[in-house]
Amino acid sequence: MALHGHPEADRAWTLLKSWQMANGAWRPSGDVQIAGWGTALCVTLATVRGEFGGPLEQGVKWLLESAGVESNFINRAAARVGLLNAERDLSLKGWPWKPGTSSWVEPTAHTLVALQRTASKAPKGTSADELKERVRMGEAQLLDVRCADGGWNYGSRAALGVDLPSYPETTALALIGLQGHPDLAHSIELAARMARETPSAMAAAWLAIALRVHGAEPPAPSGDVSPDVLVTAVEALGAPAGNYAFLKAGGAA
Amino acid sequence: MTISRREFLPVAGAALLSGVAGFQGGRRRSAKPAGSSAVAVVKAASYSNDLVNRMLAGIRECKLDVRGMKVLLKPNLVEFDPATCINTNVAVIAAALEAFQTLGAAEVRIGEGPGHRRDTYALAEMARYRSEIPKFDSLFVDLNRDDVSPVQGFADRGEIYLPNTALRADLIVSLAKMKTHHWAGATLSMKNYFGLVPGAVYGWPKNELHHVGIDRSIVELSRIFRRSFAIVDGIIGMEGNGPIQGTPKPVGVLVMGSDLPSVDATCCRIMGIDPSRVEYLKMASDRLGITEDARIEQRGERIQSVRTNFNLIPQFHQIRLA
Repeated sequence: MALHGHPEADRAWTLLKSWQMANGAWRPSGDVQIAGWGTALCVTLATVRGEFGGPLEQGVKWLLESAGVESNFINRAAARVGLLNAERDLSLKGWPWKPGTSSWVEPTAHTLVALQRTASKAPKGTSADELKERVRMGEAQLLDVRCADGGWNYGSRAALGVDLPSYPETTALALIGLQGHPDLAHSIELAARMARETPSAMAAAWLAIALRVHGAEPPAPSGDVSPDVLVTAVEALGAPAGNYAFLKAGGAA
Repeated sequence: MTISRREFLPVAGAALLSGVAGFQGGRRRSAKPAGSSAVAVVKAASYSNDLVNRMLAGIRECKLDVRGMKVLLKPNLVEFDPATCINTNVAVIAAALEAFQTLGAAEVRIGEGPGHRRDTYALAEMARYRSEIPKFDSLFVDLNRDDVSPVQGFADRGEIYLPNTALRADLIVSLAKMKTHHWAGATLSMKNYFGLVPGAVYGWPKNELHHVGIDRSIVELSRIFRRSFAIVDGIIGMEGNGPIQGTPKPVGVLVMGSDLPSVDATCCRIMGIDPSRVEYLKMASDRLGITEDARIEQRGERIQSVRTNFNLIPQFHQIRLA
């Protein structure tokens, strides 16, 4: 995504396409036979590239059919009748890292971006209303797990009744997923503070993207070179002339 | 009245019983360990003590021979909070690196896949691993994003993908931290292996392990990585609401051994925890290792001379050692 328009990006996309599974999901690598959270990123990338054919539609369909499994049946029933304090609303469904597990901030945020970018291109057999409802519930799930300080931990706001601190990278991702939602001013303010203070290059890069898609200017980057190529890619995406607009929720289709 | 998830477990856990029974009697049942296991308890009052020689003494007590081996040091790097002591102290890792090189290992690397935070290098920087371990970046493997291979047989999941760096090591050294754990009771050398599970496949946190069951996953990972040695950093442990939000607890020991359940059972006794009431140690006992006091050959310090009761959250008061 950071290198969109370069020949290297075309070659990488060819490789990524070979990792799509028959059910529409993407595997995390060629060696792994598990449908995964990277599906949302691949769908977003397909929209960036303007490839609105079958692979994208199958990916969107898989995302719409995928949902977090929140606890187990007994706990869900107990929470519904007030016997269990689950510390989150177990009826709300975001997206999991892999099928069969719970909803977490990062995969939910990436999926919200992907689905909103395909909103006007709902796959055959899927109604726009269904897509909208799934986005609405995903947003509600993210808002439900917002920490007391206004940011996000990786997916829980508390453990055993004790508030959890928010993390800069997941706060950034949640804000990217919640674009256009009202009631985010306090969280954006927190993100701006985190961007000034975090020692994590990866967090700073995601925060730069989050602030830009919300119309705010992030602080200047440190200039340090990370040994991690993933960090470099996210930094390039979030640079002033970077491709961060590809993560704007309504930015395609 | 509402109850917490933990209080609800005895009721909800009924559904899991068949699965646990399956593990206990299933085809993956390991051979029952015979005889006894050696566990060395070595005093170290602070991180500035001569940890290398103390570690070498403990390793030799356990008769570990690592000559020619590819050794992977697996610290516990989870999260950073300057107010407490979440991670294996950098001095312990640096000492282990030097000790295993001194003992003739062919290669010593450091690998970890933090379960909470995405930016592993930033975490390693905050924990001072990058600044205080020479050539850290070239020795370190982020196991969250390592190449992986499938391993058949993981609880009811059929297979699990694990990092090649860990699978190809001749010996993994679990450089764990002595901490209480709000879901498992205590996190020691066995629980430390959650960090071997790749985040790129299973996420942050590695929620698959929670769905399989924390205790069961601890045992399964220890079963897969049997070529292990443990060095538990109990110089300053963590009590209360561990493994992240607890408070520092000075104990002044390093606990070492090749039998991870024995090491963890010994650590529990030092912490004032009854290992027979810690679920994963109950499951591992006699299948993966020895946990009974009488069958553990204690080398170095006696447990009673270093025992200091760790504060336990109310949900775990029942595991207090009498």
